Parts: sequence; C-alpha cells; structure tokens
Amino acid sequence: MIDVGKSTITRRRFLEVAGVGAAAVAMPGVMAGCAQAASTPATTSSKPSPATLSLFISKDTAHPQQQNQLMDLIKQTFEKQNPGSSFTWDTYASAAEEQTKLETGVAAREGPDIFEFGSTVVPTAYASGAFETITNSMWDELGGKKAFFQPQLAMSGPSPDKLIAVPWSGNPYALVINKAMFQAAGIKNPPKTWNEFVDAAKAMTNGKDSWGTAMAPADGFDPWHKIWLFATQMGAPLMDESGKKGLLDSEPSVEACAFWLDWMASFKIASRQCATYKGADEIKAFASGNIGMQVMTGPGGIPTYDQGPVAGKYEYVVGPTVPHGMSSLPAKGKPAQGFVSGQYLTIFKYSKNKELALQLIKTMTSPDIQYQLFKLRAQQPVVVETFAKHPEAKVAPWDALYDAELKSYPTPFFGSWLQLEVVLGKAINTIAQQIGVTGSYSKDALKAALTQANQQLAASIT
Amino acid sequence: MITPERARPAVAVPHGPVRARRPAGSALRAPYWMMTPSVALLALIVFLPILIAFYISLTGLNQYTIGDWLRAPFVGLRHYMDTLEPQGPFASSLFNSVKASLAFSLLTTALIMPIALGAALLFNQSLPGRTFFRTMMLIPYIIPTFVNAILWRQVFMNETGVVDQLLSALHLGSRETFWLIGPNSLWAMVIADVWAAWPFVYLMSLAALQTIPGELYDAATIDGANGARGFLYVTLPLIRPTLGLAVVLSTINHFNNFTLPYVMFGISPPEQVNVLPLNIFVNSFVTFNFGLGAAMSVVALAIMLTPAVIYLRAARVGDESR
Repeated sequence: MIDVGKSTITRRRFLEVAGVGAAAVAMPGVMAGCAQAASTPATTSSKPSPATLSLFISKDTAHPQQQNQLMDLIKQTFEKQNPGSSFTWDTYASAAEEQTKLETGVAAREGPDIFEFGSTVVPTAYASGAFETITNSMWDELGGKKAFFQPQLAMSGPSPDKLIAVPWSGNPYALVINKAMFQAAGIKNPPKTWNEFVDAAKAMTNGKDSWGTAMAPADGFDPWHKIWLFATQMGAPLMDESGKKGLLDSEPSVEACAFWLDWMASFKIASRQCATYKGADEIKAFASGNIGMQVMTGPGGIPTYDQGPVAGKYEYVVGPTVPHGMSSLPAKGKPAQGFVSGQYLTIFKYSKNKELALQLIKTMTSPDIQYQLFKLRAQQPVVVETFAKHPEAKVAPWDALYDAELKSYPTPFFGSWLQLEVVLGKAINTIAQQIGVTGSYSKDALKAALTQANQQLAASIT
Repeated sequence: MITPERARPAVAVPHGPVRARRPAGSALRAPYWMMTPSVALLALIVFLPILIAFYISLTGLNQYTIGDWLRAPFVGLRHYMDTLEPQGPFASSLFNSVKASLAFSLLTTALIMPIALGAALLFNQSLPGRTFFRTMMLIPYIIPTFVNAILWRQVFMNETGVVDQLLSALHLGSRETFWLIGPNSLWAMVIADVWAAWPFVYLMSLAALQTIPGELYDAATIDGANGARGFLYVTLPLIRPTLGLAVVLSTINHFNNFTLPYVMFGISPPEQVNVLPLNIFVNSFVTFNFGLGAAMSVVALAIMLTPAVIYLRAARVGDESR
C-alpha cells in the first residue's frame, strides 16, 4: 500500500491514476484537467455523521446573484436540519467544463459529493458507473418518487430500478410568440402545424428587419434540439434501439434537418445572419421585438425578454406538432413539445458522505426551496407539492410551460446520445455556414454530411 | 585595448586537431550516474505520458471505461486507420485539421515576422517616448488568450462588429460580411493571433539587436555601407539565429493554439479553423472518444517533430558556428 496524504490507495490504483494523469500531459495543449489521488469509498452508516459536503452545480449566468442567494438559503436550512454539517459549492459554466469534471472525477475516483448534471448528460454519468443508484428507501427519504414531476423521472435512469439522478429543476420547451407582430400580420391563433408555422412566419417577414422566426445553428445544443423535435413528431428515431447505431442519414432524419435549414435557405423566414447565432444570440434577437416566433424555447429567456422591446408583448404557447407537408400526425409520430430537460442531482459513488449527501438533496428538493428556485432563478420546480403550495408557479407564462412539460418525451437513455448530439450539431453547422455565406445548400451535401456524421458516430461508440 | 578574457590564456592550445582523452574506470561512469535523477525525471514527465498516450490510442477508451482505463478494450490500430486511411470516417476531418493548423501557423508566423522585426528595428533607435512605446507594445501579449478571443469575436461579429461597420462606412464591404464562418474565418483567427502574438517575436528580435556592438556599424559606415547595406550585411547575419529560433517557436506555438479557436468559434468551428488541437479536444472530451483523441495526438506529435528537428539542427549549427 502507498500512503498519499491521509488516504490509502493500492499500488495498482496509484498506477492507474498516475497513468491517466500522464496521458493528460501527453495530449498536447488540450487536456483540461489531470487526475488526482483516489480515496477509498466510505462505508455507509445508519446515521449520517456531521461533515462538510461539496457540490458541483451549473452556473446560472442569467441570475448569478440570485443563485448566491438561493445557495445561502439552502445552506442555512441544511445546517439547521443537520447540526454540525455544512457544504461548499462550485460551479461550471459550460457543458465542456461539466464533462471534464465528470471525466476527471470518474478517472480519479475522487470529486464532489454531489454532481449536478443536465438531463442528456445523465446517461453518460450512468454509463460511467460512478454514481449511486437511488434505492427505494432513498426515494422514500426524499418523499417518494411520486413527489416528483413524473416526466422528469424518465431521465433519472435507464429503468425504474436503476435511477441515479434526482430531478432538481425543469426546463420545459414551448413556442414563444410576439403578440404585437401576430396582430400586425392579422394572425389570430398560434400555428398548430408546421405548414401553418411557415405561412405565419412568411406573413411576418419583410426580409430586412422583421423576420418570422430565428434559429441558432452555431449553438452546441440547438441543432439537435430542433432536429430531434421534428424527427420525433415524424416518428423517426435518430438512433436505433440498441444505442449503438445512429440513424442520422435516414430519409426522415435528412428531411427533418432540411426543414430546419430551409427556414434560412428556402422559406427565407429566418435571416441568413442566424448562421452564426448561438442560443443567447437567438434570445437577444427575439427580445429585440423583430422576430415573430421562437421555437422550442425554455424559460431561460424570460429575464432577457422582460428587459427588451418585446417586454409585455410575448407569450408562451403550445407549439406545432404536425410535421411539415402533412395534415396530421403520422402513425408513429409523437406530439412532442420538447424533450425531458432539466437539471439533476447525483451522489458520487466514491463520496465518503453519501447519506449526508442524500439529506442535502432532500433539503434542495423540499417544496419551499423549490419555490425559491422558481422565484429567484426562474426555474421550473419539479416537486409536485410546490405547485399546490405556491400556485403562482403555474401562472402565465408558466402555465404554458407546465403544459408543455407534460408533453415532453425523453431522449434515448444511452451514454452514446451525447456523441450523437455533437456529430449531428457539427454536420448541421457546416451546412448552415454554407447557407450563411452563399444563401443556399444542396440536399446532396446535407445527406453526405449526415452520412459522415453517422459513420463518425458508429466509429465512436463501437 | 586587451579584454580580460583575451589576456588570460588558461590552457596552452596545441597545434592541429585535438582528440579528447577518455578518462578510464570510475572517472568515466561518475558523470553519467550523476545524470540519473534528471533522466528519471525526464522519463517520468515526458516519455511515460507519451507511451501511455500511445497505449490509449490503441484502446477503445470511452465514457464506459474511463473509470478503469486499464481494462479498456484493445482495438489495435483501428483509430489510426479511421484517421489515416482515405476512406476512414475521420480521415477528412484529420486532413482538414492538419491543413487548417498548417495554414494558420504559417500565415500567422509569416505576418508576424516583418511586423515584429520592423518594430524592433524602430525602437532599437533613440526615439522620444521609446520606453513608453516599448511598454505599450507588450499589452497584447499580456492580455490572456481567452480575453483576446472574446474581444476579437465581438470585433468580427457580422452586422454588429466593428470590422463590418467600418467596412460599411468606408464603402469597402457589406455590414453582413461573415467573418466567423466560411473562408474569412481563417483570416479572422490569423488577425486575432497576430495582434496577440507579435510582441513575442518583437522582444526576441529587440534582444538580439541589442547584442550587436555599435563598432560593427561604425566599421561598416567607414567601409561605405549605407543603412540598407548595413542591415543586410551586419544586422541580419548577426540576428539570423535568433530569428530562426523565433520562426520555429512561433510556428509551433500557433500550431498548438487551442484557446483562441475554441473561444472564438466553439466546438463546431468552420472547417477552415477546425485546427488539430480543437479537433482532438472535441473527440476526446466532448464525444468521450479518448482512444481516437490519443491517436490524433500521436499524429500531431509526429507532425510537430518536423519543426522541432529543424530547430534542433539549427541550434546545433549555431553551436558549431561559435
């Protein structure tokens, strides 16, 4: 055995950790972190002993001060409920940081007691095998599974007996419309089909400073969000049931991609300037009051909208569900508004304070803290009792978002889904750039880009 | 005047070629034993990581096996075939990245050298406010790379960026010119990097210029050499080793630049700026394909050995010339 500080590790483990650290040095200029010495997993006991926990959570860049306020409140509550215990917290500001911390923690078997992950990173966390399964008795401690918003549980694990993640906040998607532009164009109702959507968008577009819609193909997430939505409504999965084969170049997938890209290229309802847009640029564009509709939009934009010319003129509504070119939903199509999205809390397998970590999660998912999460950070609560205790959490614009959440569908629970997101995003981004520069694209080029993405996906996950 | 060094002949110099006499026995071994800690350290921090990276490149290390990487499935040369075979799924990606990295590093270096040398020549002369300007010139070099990248991203934004607005005001281009996508993106990245990196070469050149004795210029003037001939026949030959080193180091630094393209363009960059370090990062840490990322790193290492060998040969030539 080798003593490293206070912890004791085996020689093999030391070599493994040192090896990963050494590999990090070897990859020139790109390795963001290095492995640390691992610690022996703690044994569980019936009563959690006092300790200081560590949390790794996402940074709320839209509400940084409010996030501090909320964490202070959680700390006060937790310390009161668990005398002698406390916690420290650190944040990540990007998906890359989130993933790097996950990789480093898993490789070194040392890291925060509680990790917060986005819904589509949970399958990757599950695949790593480094997070505790939340057993029935643990769920009971948290108030039972029924205490949570049921759609959210679909992304907590691959099956009901293998849940590793406790829902912490929701991020439902809906269509947000500019009521003033709708009125000016003489449109009375939000579109129910994508044909109606294109027609409405054309009516609001003048090709200069007024556009029917916007898009963000340069974003790391937006392309797969939209393509997944269109493909799901068409009943066409992007990945097969084994999770080992992508279906990105199937005919419906290509059609789904083409429909989105055509907003700029063919229908011309979105400005070509959108080719460089990331998610925040799209939100800013809508906030300027010159965009008629923003598709599959979460509550994250509300603070920006409320400070821009569109303040008081926008509304969240249920978005179209009938695919473009069709008059009704196809046989296998699903009336999806979005995918199950939100943030989740997981307990690190190698934490020495797993039981205390569960107590902290209990505090964080209590209805009162969930209400503060809504009030301070404009996040949707995921604990059902919150809505009964604090009805304002369902008042407009949150009512439409609440309804949209009930119409959300989970993405496939595979560790490889994250890889699909990236390769699909890159393929779409490449074509969108062509449209931005030249104004058009060829369907053959799109098909070729998706075929290459599919091959890369296959090579990555086999 | 006789310098102290010249006045102190320490050893009688024999005529003809000198053959070093080899010490025998323990005297021979002693110096090598004393190098053992350095060699061990070098092996640990340089060679071991390279060997492990090579090993990882032969495995299918991913999100499923990262917790126990020694048990990652062995895939042999598959990652190398995926990237180096013309029909491999990552072949065009790697080829494009190598092309983008070479174009970026060579263009940047080619632009930096005359700018930096010109500035060094200018501020090697007695000018009013010289100290102030010398300090100001270091500001781009001091600014962190990610801050520089964010600044230039804003400058090159289509419609709202300074560049598009300026071009439009001067009737030289449209306000809707794209700089962050398409072919212009390479130039955007080159300009951003030239702005940030030229003071490095400027400093090296200035340091080299300051080592040239003034007497040489006096002698050249007496021999009838004007400013241009003085530069060509006195200055340039004497700073050539430093400039050569600057070219090699600059090329390597730009080739390995990760932060600038990452912050300016994100993880889905235009193919013109999808440089090798960014491509490796995405494959390793975004798509969790560590084996492929390691294989690409080994290829990158092989590519970077070329200027490294040139540098080492140049350094050796420099030694012989002394």
